[in-house]
Amino acid sequence: MANEPKLSHTAAMILQTIHAGQVYGFSVMEATGLPSGTVYPAMRRLERDGLIVSKWEQQSIADAQQRPPRKYYKVTRAGIATLQVMQKRYPLLQKMISASEVKNA
Amino acid sequence: MSLPFFRSLPASVLILHSAAWLVPAEERKEWLAEWEAELWHVCRTGEPGLNGRPRSHSTGFCVGAFQDAFWLKWNHLRSARWRVLRRGAASRCTLLLAVWAAASLLLFLSLPAARNAALRSFHRNADGLFVISRSGYSGMQSPTIGLEEYLSWKTATRQLFSGIAFYQPLSKRVHILKHRSAELAIGRASDNLFQLLNRPLPADPPNGEHLARLFLTQAAWRQNFNADPALVGAIAEVAGQRVVIAGILSPDALRLPGHLDAWLLEDEEQLAKLPKRSSGFLLARMRRGKLRLDEWQHMTVYSEDGSRSNRFDCISLAEEERLPFSIFVFTLIVALIALPATTPLPLGEYPHHDGRLPWAVRARRWVFFCSKIVLFVPLVYFTSVDAAYGCQVQNANTVQYIQLGLSFFGFLFGFRWILQDQRKRCPVCLRVLSNPARVGEASRNFLAWNGTEWICTNGHGLLHIPELPTSWFGTQRWLDLDASWHPLFSDGCVPSAGVL
Repeated sequence: MANEPKLSHTAAMILQTIHAGQVYGFSVMEATGLPSGTVYPAMRRLERDGLIVSKWEQQSIADAQQRPPRKYYKVTRAGIATLQVMQKRYPLLQKMISASEVKNA
Repeated sequence: MSLPFFRSLPASVLILHSAAWLVPAEERKEWLAEWEAELWHVCRTGEPGLNGRPRSHSTGFCVGAFQDAFWLKWNHLRSARWRVLRRGAASRCTLLLAVWAAASLLLFLSLPAARNAALRSFHRNADGLFVISRSGYSGMQSPTIGLEEYLSWKTATRQLFSGIAFYQPLSKRVHILKHRSAELAIGRASDNLFQLLNRPLPADPPNGEHLARLFLTQAAWRQNFNADPALVGAIAEVAGQRVVIAGILSPDALRLPGHLDAWLLEDEEQLAKLPKRSSGFLLARMRRGKLRLDEWQHMTVYSEDGSRSNRFDCISLAEEERLPFSIFVFTLIVALIALPATTPLPLGEYPHHDGRLPWAVRARRWVFFCSKIVLFVPLVYFTSVDAAYGCQVQNANTVQYIQLGLSFFGFLFGFRWILQDQRKRCPVCLRVLSNPARVGEASRNFLAWNGTEWICTNGHGLLHIPELPTSWFGTQRWLDLDASWHPLFSDGCVPSAGVL
């Protein structure tokens, strides 16, 4: 397909991780084993390309736990569609980071 | 962030703040907040360090922040560079003009002929100095005055000239110490030449002989004699005549008609031995108060019996030296006068500027306009001088015509382009307007307007250019678009990163 999105394996892995439920930058780092200098730029690119969206959590929640508010990420519809294409392209993607593994982690 | 947790990790926070300074200002606050929020979780999951604080994870995370910052910085610079150089941008236009002006200046500095022609205007001793010629400026290129005339005028013109000197260009082989020789263009000159030019003459070398003195130009000395310092004071032979090399002339010492490598100063007795009909250049210094010292003069010389007269041109060396600059000023003025015949001068109506735009944005448009002019004027000057003097044309008149033509048409079409370019740019972002669309019909001209509508791709406004100027729509008119239009315009020039 001419309009098929083309993501690098790393970007696809991060997208898969977010879709699997790791919605914070640090948890993506832990799940993928990628360093912060790779994960955050990649997430910014995914966000700019409309595959994920980010949102700051409410200040009140963070205040209650005496920590700074976190920024969390969520895969968009376009992101899910892209991820499906990427899973065909990188068949091991789902096996590497599956939702169950993430939950256990 | 004032949480107690961060106060316990001053080094990590300091590293994150340092990394944040690399992030573009508009994104800095958000990135710092995200890093600090994640650092909290990094430290919670990390193992305790020596003093009980989690170190290893936090350090790795903080170093990673620098990677993020460098990535952002690089992307920001790349997009900024792209914005500067993208098609239609004002900065690209200014940059191209600046590069062209700089290239023409470099070429000017590297072309000796162009440099000498333009910079000799600053010759200190040219006032009152004339070249006497039979044929106007042509006489500046080839010798026209006979030795006989020089000898007769030398005494006859004392009331008019304070000094008169003669030189004849010759091509002679100079032999030094029998085994070194070079073919040089020598100016065989009367010994008062340097005195006439107010140049100090070095003392005679103490060799006991009274020999004619040869002065080499620095270029000839370097090219033919490997810049040998021992040459000064050496005895040489020119066409069988023993001469002493009395000195080396600096490049700007003598800038006289004829391209000469050396000057041979001879006393009157030696000079008188030349054939009477041999021709040369004649230099004369006008006495003060006699005539204007910087204008072209004519001199009529009558024969002894008064039966016939010869007309000569006295070309002021100061005027001749100023010629490239005079041509530049003349063509600039003529081009400005002719400009309204080629394009309308008004830049159009911009009614939206009534206080809605910051003064910096309004001023930027005029700064851009002025910078184009400021860059263009030296550009035309240097390009025309480079072309005229760099194409190795021997005839001085041809050189001047080339400079005149290039300079005039350069200024005329250049100023025309500057005005047209300014009119077709957005007054806010200064980008070239695009997507022209025909609006209206000719038959509706008296009810509304018809013409062409241009659009700013950044969404700042529309430019209406009437097909037929009328009393109610005489010139192009800018229509400002408010913020509600902005969603329709997006910047499509951002490259898609993260995509293979």
